Amino acid sequence: MPVHEDKEIDLYAKDIINQLSIIMRTANIHSPGNVAVTTAIEKYVYLINPLIKSEKSLLLELFGEFFYINGARIRYSLDYLVNFDFLVREFKKRELGSILFSDFVSPNDLHVFLKAFISSGFSEIPYETMSDEVSGIKRITIGRLKKVSDESRTDTRKTVKKSYFNAVSYVKGVLSKIESGEKINIRKAKRVVESMVDRLPEEEQFLVGMTAIKDYDEYTYNHLVNVSILSVALGHRLGLNKKSLAVLGIAALFHDIGKIEIPHEVLNKPSILNDDEWKVMKKHPLWGVRAILKLRGFDSTAVRSVIVAFEHHLHTDLTGYPKVSDYMELDLYSRIVGITDQYDAMTSSRVYSRTPMAPDKAISMMMERSGTQLDSLLMKFFVNMIGIFPIGTLVMLNTKELGLVYENNEVIPERPKVMIIMDNAGNRIKGSVLNLARKDDSGRYERTIVKTLDPNKYRINLAEYLL
Amino acid sequence: MQPEEEAKAVKEILANLLRAKKMLRMYPQGNPMYVRTLDDLYAKICGFFEYRDELTLKIGQNSIFLDSEQVYHNTEKEDNLAIFLFKDGIRELSFSKDLLRGELEEFMRIIMVDYDREIQEDDVVTLLWEKDFQNIRYVVDEAFLMEEIDEAYEDKAVKALMERPTDTDTLTRAYSDVLQDIKNEEKPVTILPATFDELQLLVNEIEKDASGKLDKLASILFEVFLNADGKHELEDAVDFLSDFIRFSMIHKDIHNVLRVLQRASDLSISPAASDEKRKYIMMLISYVNSEEIIQLLGELTDSAAAVEEEDLRQFTKYLAKEAVSPLIRVLGDLKTIRARKLFIEMIVFLGENDVQALAEKLDDQRWYVVRNIVYILRRIGDKKTVNSLVKTLRHKDTRVRKEVIRTLGEMNGQVALQALKECLADEDPEIRISSARAISAIGSPSAMKVILERISEKEFRELELSERKDFYEILSRWKDTEVFHFLVATLNRKSFFGMSRNYEDMACAAFALGLLGNRDALPVLVKYRETNNKLLKDYVNMAIKRIEHAGS
Repeated sequence: MPVHEDKEIDLYAKDIINQLSIIMRTANIHSPGNVAVTTAIEKYVYLINPLIKSEKSLLLELFGEFFYINGARIRYSLDYLVNFDFLVREFKKRELGSILFSDFVSPNDLHVFLKAFISSGFSEIPYETMSDEVSGIKRITIGRLKKVSDESRTDTRKTVKKSYFNAVSYVKGVLSKIESGEKINIRKAKRVVESMVDRLPEEEQFLVGMTAIKDYDEYTYNHLVNVSILSVALGHRLGLNKKSLAVLGIAALFHDIGKIEIPHEVLNKPSILNDDEWKVMKKHPLWGVRAILKLRGFDSTAVRSVIVAFEHHLHTDLTGYPKVSDYMELDLYSRIVGITDQYDAMTSSRVYSRTPMAPDKAISMMMERSGTQLDSLLMKFFVNMIGIFPIGTLVMLNTKELGLVYENNEVIPERPKVMIIMDNAGNRIKGSVLNLARKDDSGRYERTIVKTLDPNKYRINLAEYLL
Repeated sequence: MQPEEEAKAVKEILANLLRAKKMLRMYPQGNPMYVRTLDDLYAKICGFFEYRDELTLKIGQNSIFLDSEQVYHNTEKEDNLAIFLFKDGIRELSFSKDLLRGELEEFMRIIMVDYDREIQEDDVVTLLWEKDFQNIRYVVDEAFLMEEIDEAYEDKAVKALMERPTDTDTLTRAYSDVLQDIKNEEKPVTILPATFDELQLLVNEIEKDASGKLDKLASILFEVFLNADGKHELEDAVDFLSDFIRFSMIHKDIHNVLRVLQRASDLSISPAASDEKRKYIMMLISYVNSEEIIQLLGELTDSAAAVEEEDLRQFTKYLAKEAVSPLIRVLGDLKTIRARKLFIEMIVFLGENDVQALAEKLDDQRWYVVRNIVYILRRIGDKKTVNSLVKTLRHKDTRVRKEVIRTLGEMNGQVALQALKECLADEDPEIRISSARAISAIGSPSAMKVILERISEKEFRELELSERKDFYEILSRWKDTEVFHFLVATLNRKSFFGMSRNYEDMACAAFALGLLGNRDALPVLVKYRETNNKLLKDYVNMAIKRIEHAGS
């Protein structure tokens, strides 16, 4: 088969998803009978029926963040990002996992389906509502979103933990090699980041969760890995492709490499730095450029890493450091790393400040800098990713139970999963993880967060609970 | 299919794949051979899918297996498919039934790279990973990564973390604190999903981000330079900028180079830069004169992505006379006429300031380079190089000598004339004629005398008619009485010995009188109008017509 046919097939598959998203978006604005909706539906019928004819059926599934058509994963592309993301959210909101078109569909079938889709969005039990309403259409069947079992989640958590510590160990080894003037193998660094990128679609929560534990002994190495994870996760949310994510991950991993030239007594000074020491500290972006270029030359990843190393403290409004004379706007990757670096640094314990800032406080403070020091659009995506209640936040529930945020809820951010650490009588427990999105028989949420606390203030060791 | 038949089919597929690996390297994409090779391989693999849905190969260090059957074995290091995949950690490779031709092509383009010889940023696994194939899967053993990882690190890190358990009393305090303060909850940050416009903005940002980063890198390197403290940092900064220039040249991006040079040039005269910094920036600018950069400039000028003439003119502004030597060396290696022309223009521009250095290059072993240098010296026209040119008259290649002769002719001067005069007696008729033309280009009375003397020599009459005619034609360039009288005398010359040669000389003189266009020659010419010698008669009639026509 000629190459152009391969590309056409890929495009065709993307169109099927894109057009479905267009129908849903149009129907959100107009009534189902509106000509815009009808036209979109007719276009869709025209698009999918030839495929149903040749393949006998068309199965559209959502796994994690990806759509599959008849078992083949459909690649994300920038052109379709907005519509793909919209559809993923809408599917998840309804717990909708698949749509099977088993024979030619008519515009009328799709009208009924669309009505069911829209109305289920307002239902307390969206999947059931939708399933009921589409049961009359013989040619369209829906399936529930598949959930990963608790057992496999435990395994995944273990694997993620292993990967995280391997990455930290690798970074530690790399930095020590650089310090002793040895050559490093960048291809291996890429492989470490690639495995991180591979885990993202399914395991973003676990990975980001690992960065929430801030009490590691070796801040420098953990910070580099944390910034890399958070940057790649944010990049993934922004729709960057795999290759770009890998480059971003590497750039983030090496963003502070210039610090290896800072004398230990300055870098690890347990008190506030004086002016001269600050002057030295502020040189690390410049030294980072030097270190990367000496190590790597001018390959494309090195160039991106240099840019990030130089710009990560410069701020969007160029008010940071190093001072620049004649400069253009910050690179996208630098703006990403600027945010993730700041967040991780603020929420970590440092030699000069053993008590880190609570994640929600850090987010609030960063929001104040949004639009000046930090890119406002990226901040919006970052807050969406970290959640209103970032993993590791200490929360009091309306049931008078005290818990730690364990996993975010992408669809209903204010209802994360929480691990209970004190029961309603104030007894310490290592309780189960509860989903705050769960409702009782009367349709009311069983538990709600009523207050957040700073886990650092009470010296809560998050590792005890999250690892 | 029986297992042994399957194994045989896979052996054939692998043989095809290895052949394709070589062939696809040899032919450009889209070439009929390229297409056919790929089609054959694709057909072979698809043929296998008639019996099985998946072709899974287990990769060993020197062998490849289908199930437990060995289908490939090679102990050589070169061209060993097994070791090629194994060394990057690939332990299993699968092609599934829905494999697309495009996927196979992409796959082949990854494995056909010679990773040992070509500069590659990524290994095979990374390249496969980036492609994200739907129908080609691979299993990677990450053990090689473990060489750089302390396996006990996780245990140690977790143990260290657990050594600081949460204190129950503190936890109880937290619990009571929060119960007392429950009404004073601060509003959490509100999460608002990105709007459609914001998403669109983001799409634009990402698209914009895909554009080249070298411009930005250059800005950063200048910032590093401006912020540099002390010799060590300044040297590093200049090295990076030099590397940047080299890198841009390798990637045929002369615009980036010009931007860097322009900025460096501005800095070199900026009062804001210290003397020391200006000294270093001058070092950077002079880097473009190096062999390395000039070599790359040659490749760039020769390449399909041909550089604009204006860009080269800009580039030349930053070159100094030190560049002449490498420019000449590279000039001889250039493949295209356009590139050679452009290089010559650059050398002409730079050579004006140091013609002696340029003249020294006349001893280059490559005749075509010497000829180009002579041409360049002619364009420059500096008489200081005449002596060097005269020496080059002894060059063993006629093409060089002819170029020198022409150059000396345009250079004028006594030394040149004397050298050219000697060439009039050369064994090679081409050299003799070229010299005569060059003397004609000098055009002075003494030059005229040299030609007159030559024509008057006894041996001259022994030359072929065509050469003699050329000499007479050259002589006619001087509209001079002495020439007129000489020609008339030759036309009237009587001889009983060598009559036919004499008629030829007379004919040549008639021809030259025609070219001279002096009407006073008409009565003499008319005298020979009815001569019995056909050659003379023809030339005389031709000359009369020419003079009469010119006068009408």
